[in-house]
Amino acid sequence: MRIEPGQLGAQPYVRPLPDMRAGTAVVIGLVVFVLALGSWEFYWRSWGSEPAIRNSPGLWAMQRRRIDNGEGHKTVIVGSSRMLFNVQLPVWEQVGGERPIQLAIEGTSPLPVMEQLADDADFTGRLVVGVAPDIFFTGFTYLSDKYELYPKETPSERVAQWLSMTLLEPWLAYYDEDFALTKVLKRQPWPARKGVPDFLDVRKLSVSDADRNTYMWSKVENDAEYAALCQRIWAQDFGEVPFGSNEVLQKKISGEIDRAVKVVERLRARGVSLVFVRAPSNSDYLAFEYRWFPRATTWDVLLEKTGVPGIHFDDYPEMQGLRLPEWSHLAAADASRYTAALQPLVEKAFAAQRKGD
Amino acid sequence: MTFNSLTFIAFFAIVALLHRLPFSWHTKKVNLLVASYVFYAAWNPPFILLLWASTFIDWKVAHWIDRTEDQARRKLVMLLSLVFNLGMLGYFKYGGFLLESFQALAATFGIDYTPPAWNIVLPIGISFYTFVTMSYTLDVYLRRARPGKSFLDFALFVTYFPHLVAGPILRPTDLLPQFERESRPTRQQLRWGLMLMTLGLFNKIVIADGLLAPVVDKVYGAKDALPMLDAWLGTLAFSGQIFCDFAGYTTTAIGASLVLGISLIDNFRYPYASIGFSDFWRRWHISLSTWLRDYLYVPLGGNRKGPGRTYVNLLLTMLLGGLWHGAAWTYVVWGGLHGLFLVSERLMKQAWGEFALWKSWPGRLMLGVLTYALVNITWVFFRAHDFPNAWRVLGAMLGLGEDGKPVLTTWLIVSAVVPLTAMLAIHAYMRERDLHVEVARQPVALVGFVLGAMLFLIAATQGGSSAFIYFQF
Repeated sequence: MRIEPGQLGAQPYVRPLPDMRAGTAVVIGLVVFVLALGSWEFYWRSWGSEPAIRNSPGLWAMQRRRIDNGEGHKTVIVGSSRMLFNVQLPVWEQVGGERPIQLAIEGTSPLPVMEQLADDADFTGRLVVGVAPDIFFTGFTYLSDKYELYPKETPSERVAQWLSMTLLEPWLAYYDEDFALTKVLKRQPWPARKGVPDFLDVRKLSVSDADRNTYMWSKVENDAEYAALCQRIWAQDFGEVPFGSNEVLQKKISGEIDRAVKVVERLRARGVSLVFVRAPSNSDYLAFEYRWFPRATTWDVLLEKTGVPGIHFDDYPEMQGLRLPEWSHLAAADASRYTAALQPLVEKAFAAQRKGD
Repeated sequence: MTFNSLTFIAFFAIVALLHRLPFSWHTKKVNLLVASYVFYAAWNPPFILLLWASTFIDWKVAHWIDRTEDQARRKLVMLLSLVFNLGMLGYFKYGGFLLESFQALAATFGIDYTPPAWNIVLPIGISFYTFVTMSYTLDVYLRRARPGKSFLDFALFVTYFPHLVAGPILRPTDLLPQFERESRPTRQQLRWGLMLMTLGLFNKIVIADGLLAPVVDKVYGAKDALPMLDAWLGTLAFSGQIFCDFAGYTTTAIGASLVLGISLIDNFRYPYASIGFSDFWRRWHISLSTWLRDYLYVPLGGNRKGPGRTYVNLLLTMLLGGLWHGAAWTYVVWGGLHGLFLVSERLMKQAWGEFALWKSWPGRLMLGVLTYALVNITWVFFRAHDFPNAWRVLGAMLGLGEDGKPVLTTWLIVSAVVPLTAMLAIHAYMRERDLHVEVARQPVALVGFVLGAMLFLIAATQGGSSAFIYFQF
């Protein structure tokens, strides 16, 4: 714009600056920042944390994109945290020769991911579907942001994911969602407010690699107090019937089974083979599951209605006696043992389907 | 890309470094233009075509208008530009809203009309850059300025990344003169710019996203009736969230631009210390309120055509201002309420004049508290996702209906009350003051310590690259 004399804004705007030794302030600021962050990092390391890859929505999207980039014929694992923590990809690869793509999401029903895969012509492989009763049969989605990010992830978000995985995650132990300052403050022992349920959030349970191979965090295995805390967190749900009434719960279970039937039909129509897997749980967690999600009215019905073969841990002696420090997930060493037992059974189930075809 | 992302940190480091290398001013401007396109394309590359179209058309239109003295032709060309800009905005932003509203209207007459699905993605920042390019054409049409000679300068004015997606909504005169002559960023600009960026990101990541958003989400996500305390805290928290989010964005933008040696105008002046709604709109989203004043309220006649017409103009301006924010009737109600409060303020001033009480500090405090309370009433419609949600929260705030079930834990109450108290105290103290002056008055060690503490809190909160609220507008 050519500004003519007397017109608006003839003088360019110049932002006023503080009359101070700003350079000194910046240096002091950087020193304070480095000291404070260093102390914070030291605190978390001494508490038992180590730098690791964050199991973030961006990491999930990276694995999901492998299907679009020429690996759509591979075995894909979906489910919730039990499939994520219990299936060890290196062991699976060692036993079966193929490293699967890990797309299980903590606390989240696999059905939305299966529906996404059913819409994706690039996916022609095999699907191992984890069934955690209280999640699968209720359609619970704790972390929907993971599968929601993938179709709309921007180039900027992809770069941020790469930068984070390269520059921050491998080096910083504090850089974990569970140690975010506001989360730490939230879980302090604040006085309870009458009438407001103050649920404890699920704590850090696992450690992930860049391809989402995930295993139990050593602190859960070795720190009895921490394991007991994790158990208390699960137990918050054990007191009452899910959804407030058995009638609503039964309707929900039936709805989710119908939803599974539909998505299985769509996947099978495209030649995708499937197998359902019920991973181990024990103690109070198992009692809760058998009380509200008995096998006969959930798992058995699912297999019957979908016609998909299933591997239930109760049916296999090699899947007994495993260690579950917080009742729901296997200790890292036991996860390897479980994977070694599971992989041949899955292969057998797939082979039987091929014969059936 | 968002300012609170790792991508932006890397991007900005490269841009700032390039800008300090000994290139010619022309090369530096080309660098900034390319960087701005990269900044925009990093969200959704195809939409850069819209930005190019908007830039090119308004550049040409302004020259056509300037070349002709025929008033009818000038007007026609100006209208063509408006049709293009508002048409683009209408198609992407209001298409679905218009169809839904038409469907609802048809249903009231018993007509069952199902419109086709409207799955159009809203190009980020379209409302902002459309207003920026329109101001250029309108300034030329209104003979407030003449078109420039450099297309590069104009393209950079439209696209300059610090203001591109969420303002401030700049006028040509705010930026073009700065592009005309070379400016080398000084060390003091660099340092103050970095401090402002830290302050802006602290507001966004720690206060808006970390502390206040969970409170707001809890209250506005509640499905049952709420108690009065929870409803008020949720809405007050939203007042803090939206301020820290939007002012945080603007402060970061101003700081980033200052590092490059370019000055951007202020967009906020401690709005929650406002005394009255006229004062509020001189302090909140200043670049939008002045845009609406200069290009809508004044052309409509402003206050030159008698009191009745003034009130209509005010209401119309605020209703459209509300609709500018989002394609939903809740935003229209938000704008309408602000219009009503502005009209009421004028009527009361006319009827009662100036009382001495209002000039005393207790009177000003009372008016300030009343203004803030009424602003919060309007925020309910801004935040609620639909009218039932708005009525539920508003009803609880006004003590209407049954007493509901509390939803806020002690921690959530603390995480709302502490930053809100600090924010209101700062707004009250800074009402007549300037940040750069107040900072300079403090001991350097204290400024450094606060800066370091903010940096640490940003890093420790971690954040999640969540988009700024105003990106959706």
